Amino acid sequence: MIPPFLHINGLRKTYGPVVATEHVELSIKEGEFMTFLGPSGSGKSTTLYILAGFQDPDTGDIRLRGRSILGVPSHKRNIGMVFQRYTLFPHLSVGENVAFPLRVRRLPQAEITRKVRRALELVRLGGFEERKPASLSGGQQQRVALARALVYDPPVLLMDEPLSALDKKLREEIQYEIRRIHRETGVTILYVTHDQEEALRLSDRIAIFNAGRIEQVGTGAELYTSPATHFVADFIGDSSFLDGTIAAVEGRCADLRLGDGTLARRIPLHAPGRPGQRAELMLRPERIELSPDPGPDGASLPVLVQDVTFLGNITDVVALTAWNAPVTVRLGFMHPLSGRLTRGDRLWIRWAAETVHAFPRD
Amino acid sequence: MLLDFGKLGILKWVLITLCILVALFLILPILFIVALSFGDSRWLIFPPPGWTLDWYRDLFADPRWFEAAWTSARIALSVTVLSVVLGLLASIALVRGRFRGRELLRAIFLMPMILPVVILAVALYILFLRLGLDGSFAGFVIAHLVIALPFSIIAITNALEGFDPAIEQAAILCGASPWEARWRVTFPAISHGLFAAAIFSFLASWDEVVLAIFMASPMLQTLPVKVYTTLRQDLTPVIAAASTLLVGLTLVLMILANRLGRRRSA
Ligand SMILES: Nc1ncnc2c1ncn2[C@@H]1O[C@H](COP(=O)(O)OP(=O)(O)O)[C@@H](O)[C@H]1O
Ligand SMILES: [Mg+2]
Repeated sequence: MIPPFLHINGLRKTYGPVVATEHVELSIKEGEFMTFLGPSGSGKSTTLYILAGFQDPDTGDIRLRGRSILGVPSHKRNIGMVFQRYTLFPHLSVGENVAFPLRVRRLPQAEITRKVRRALELVRLGGFEERKPASLSGGQQQRVALARALVYDPPVLLMDEPLSALDKKLREEIQYEIRRIHRETGVTILYVTHDQEEALRLSDRIAIFNAGRIEQVGTGAELYTSPATHFVADFIGDSSFLDGTIAAVEGRCADLRLGDGTLARRIPLHAPGRPGQRAELMLRPERIELSPDPGPDGASLPVLVQDVTFLGNITDVVALTAWNAPVTVRLGFMHPLSGRLTRGDRLWIRWAAETVHAFPRD
Repeated sequence: MLLDFGKLGILKWVLITLCILVALFLILPILFIVALSFGDSRWLIFPPPGWTLDWYRDLFADPRWFEAAWTSARIALSVTVLSVVLGLLASIALVRGRFRGRELLRAIFLMPMILPVVILAVALYILFLRLGLDGSFAGFVIAHLVIALPFSIIAITNALEGFDPAIEQAAILCGASPWEARWRVTFPAISHGLFAAAIFSFLASWDEVVLAIFMASPMLQTLPVKVYTTLRQDLTPVIAAASTLLVGLTLVLMILANRLGRRRSA
């Protein structure tokens, strides 16, 4: 069997009593864009730093093309990395920054010049060779850092929240550039972010980190349509959760008794559940209907509009159920109710059984 | 601003006058010495009745002055090199190290700055007598190194604290070994701190007199000691000339240090 291109196997790292990562298990294909997504402190950077060789794991292994790289010192791993903070060498020009990895490798000058020019053109900064890092904007500095990390054709490129210091508009612009560069170079990228939109926009696959562990790995669509855990469901998409009790189980589906006594029928269960067990009903804001009329029995609830936020192309409505649990509903610009809702309106939310999930509680 | 200078009224002029007076108080003695070094009065009359370069000629004609200056320069340069190298190594440990007693160590490194110099001088003198280092070149260098190192450590730790270690890590991932990364990236990036350390170390040794008096022997004398001993034997304007040159060099180095400091904060 051909070993996976990059295999992270049972990684665990502790800092004194703090467990930074645990049971991290992941296979990455050559040329793949893999994103580590998770809240701050969930162990994403630690995993990346172990890959870079700045930290040693307590247990576990990392294999590149079947060979462990843990015994290889950082400077011999031939891995590229773009950091969260600006890390251009302040005393060197842009051109010399990008040339640095090639000078360290003692390449002939002609080849250095050629590669530096090509790398700067790749990040659309051709002609910036003579500039000093201090004279560049944050976005430009990160693009130079990207050119410097790619100029020696590393097999793997690590990026640790490289855009978190930039404003939203610039961030989106560079995300687009990163995608193009990934397409053009075919380099395998491991990207860390806490921004779900960024992860969804960039990645082939996403690994969701929570408290040092990977909760689920999959494409954005997989994570969105079939979240494996409550945490993933919560993190991808701004889902609402309603508390309930399982009334009956039928195969992989269950009927759920909600707070006001309403019975939500035939809801797909995410884990085995039994009658009497508590469970949470997950509602995606853009997959539920808001309507003046109740829907078919077992798939709707009366609500009271609490807050309406106009966001341009969409409108977010926060509504309260009869037992005061908030549910977010997202309306498209063309929705008949869009622009006509006010606080205090009494309406119904409706759902199709296959678009909601139930997560039994332990 | 709580104390807006423009709105202080009469108080503003009081403050300005005070500042000018303090500045004059600090600068006048130096101007006085400079003037005397060019005055043609043997008896240091002020204001000088006429002007001459005789004292400078005498100064350069006397090989003992030159010898003292050369000794001073050799000691100061040795101190500078050692102080920057040791200061750099100590600073790396103080800034990057994660070990117990780091703050205590930092305080100990800065001790010689607050300790009265005379006490330091007596202590070193007694120690060097035992070690047979008294009156030797090495003794001089070590003694001056003790007072130069704190300046060096302050300048370099400041520069190092302003340097993000992630930049060094970036260099390492680019393929540079840890020491190559330090040599090619970290040290050049903190060069302003290294220069400041060099200048302050040089000056600390160059115009130091208390330790030098204890360490000096008839064979080995620094310029400030020579000025001091000459002064006690006979009051000649040659001393004013020597002092003027000392002040001149110090001034040049201070301006240089100031320039570097400004470039850094820019
Ligand atoms: N050098 C360190 N020393 C001690 N604890 C650390 C260190 N680095 C990270 N941690 C801890 O490990 C956990 C994971 O951190 P990190 O990998 O940086 O998370 P993320 O990148 O997902 O925000 C956090 O609880 C953090 O406080
Ligand atoms: Mg992080």
